[in-house]
Amino acid sequence: MSRVRLGNIVDIADGQARGFDPGCTGQDSLFVVRKGGMVYAYSDVCPHYGSTSLPWKRHQYLDAACKYIVCAAHGALFDIENGLCIQGACEGQSLAKIEVEVNACNDMWVDLRIIEEFKS
Amino acid sequence: MNIIGPDKLIFAVDDVTACKQFALDYGLTQLDDVNFVALDGTGIEIHSKDNASLPEALSTGSMLRKTLYGVADNATVDAIKAELSKDREVKTLDDGSIETMDDMGFVLGFQVTIRQALDLPAETINAPGAPPQRGVNETGVSKEFVAKPRSLSHVVYFVPDAVKAEAFFAERLGFVTTDRFKHMGPFMRPAGTNDHHTLFFLNTPPHMQGVEHFTFHMSGPTEVAQAGNALVEKGYQSFWGPGRHIFGSNWFWYFKSPFGCNVEYDADMDLHDDQWVAREAMPGADNSQVFLLHYEEKWAPGGPPPSKAS
Repeated sequence: MSRVRLGNIVDIADGQARGFDPGCTGQDSLFVVRKGGMVYAYSDVCPHYGSTSLPWKRHQYLDAACKYIVCAAHGALFDIENGLCIQGACEGQSLAKIEVEVNACNDMWVDLRIIEEFKS
Repeated sequence: MNIIGPDKLIFAVDDVTACKQFALDYGLTQLDDVNFVALDGTGIEIHSKDNASLPEALSTGSMLRKTLYGVADNATVDAIKAELSKDREVKTLDDGSIETMDDMGFVLGFQVTIRQALDLPAETINAPGAPPQRGVNETGVSKEFVAKPRSLSHVVYFVPDAVKAEAFFAERLGFVTTDRFKHMGPFMRPAGTNDHHTLFFLNTPPHMQGVEHFTFHMSGPTEVAQAGNALVEKGYQSFWGPGRHIFGSNWFWYFKSPFGCNVEYDADMDLHDDQWVAREAMPGADNSQVFLLHYEEKWAPGGPPPSKAS
């Protein structure tokens, strides 16, 4: 089965982020940020090195003000809405966005086939 | 210039609470509201990014505000002031230390070192063919052992011009280049220590200027592994390691951190004197570490008992 339910939007407080390991690899491969009723999902890989996950602890993807996504390796800041790095090691590059389907019940779904594309 | 090494790194961070907890979990001891130190008194200062009393932040967003070097004596402080005052402002602060800026724009301080002499055994090993380092009935490890960082080891900077950065530290402050990654940057030690490096530069685009990592010396590879394992068990995420570098020979384990840079444990670094001839290598995985291990959760062989039928 390629579609995986990530849970409900209400599982993530507004302005917070959460990592997920839908492939059961033991390491989160994607994360979701909820902001203003919207959810944004990205592959948990910093474009600086292409193999480094972002958080210093699980789910710690945002700065203290919850304004930007942060890579804890070298402090790069990314725009939450589009994943663009606006300051730091990979300035001008972007996180790989993952499509999240939110149904009428506010359940979040991702397609593992899409995530697989980011492994290459 | 009898500069011994970094006494202190002063940070102004985005998440003060997270950074202070990281410092404690890393193994440093909290001295007061802002100072977190190793066994020899060297350490880090953690302030809020809003602290207006600190030197200005780099435009790149680096959270390091100042590198404070320890030197042998007041005469060395005076000599550094005389040298650097030739072409830049050098302030004398109320505590007697001096403050200035290097050619890359990093703020530097110099003071008579606060580094205390340690009298502690290194990690010991027993090996066939060599006299035992641990006596009979003396065990090597303990589950209860708590690893403690001993001394601030080195800091690594991203710089837009590693040649210019190296020249400043060599020509103005007497640092020696011990080894070099071609087209990337030099490992450097000041005159007052034999440690392979207290400083390493990585050549990067200007928008990356800042700190790649900083690290403290541990007693040996077992302590690096036990300290790193303890960090992982507290939920912190490994960046690189454990492994062993080639230049410097130091064991390493790097972790991501809320300081906006990686933080390493290291141990067993090579010592060099002025007879050493610097080596050069191309950067890359094969020249960066002699081996690299990979963390897994604790595990034991065994499995279920045999079934009655077998």
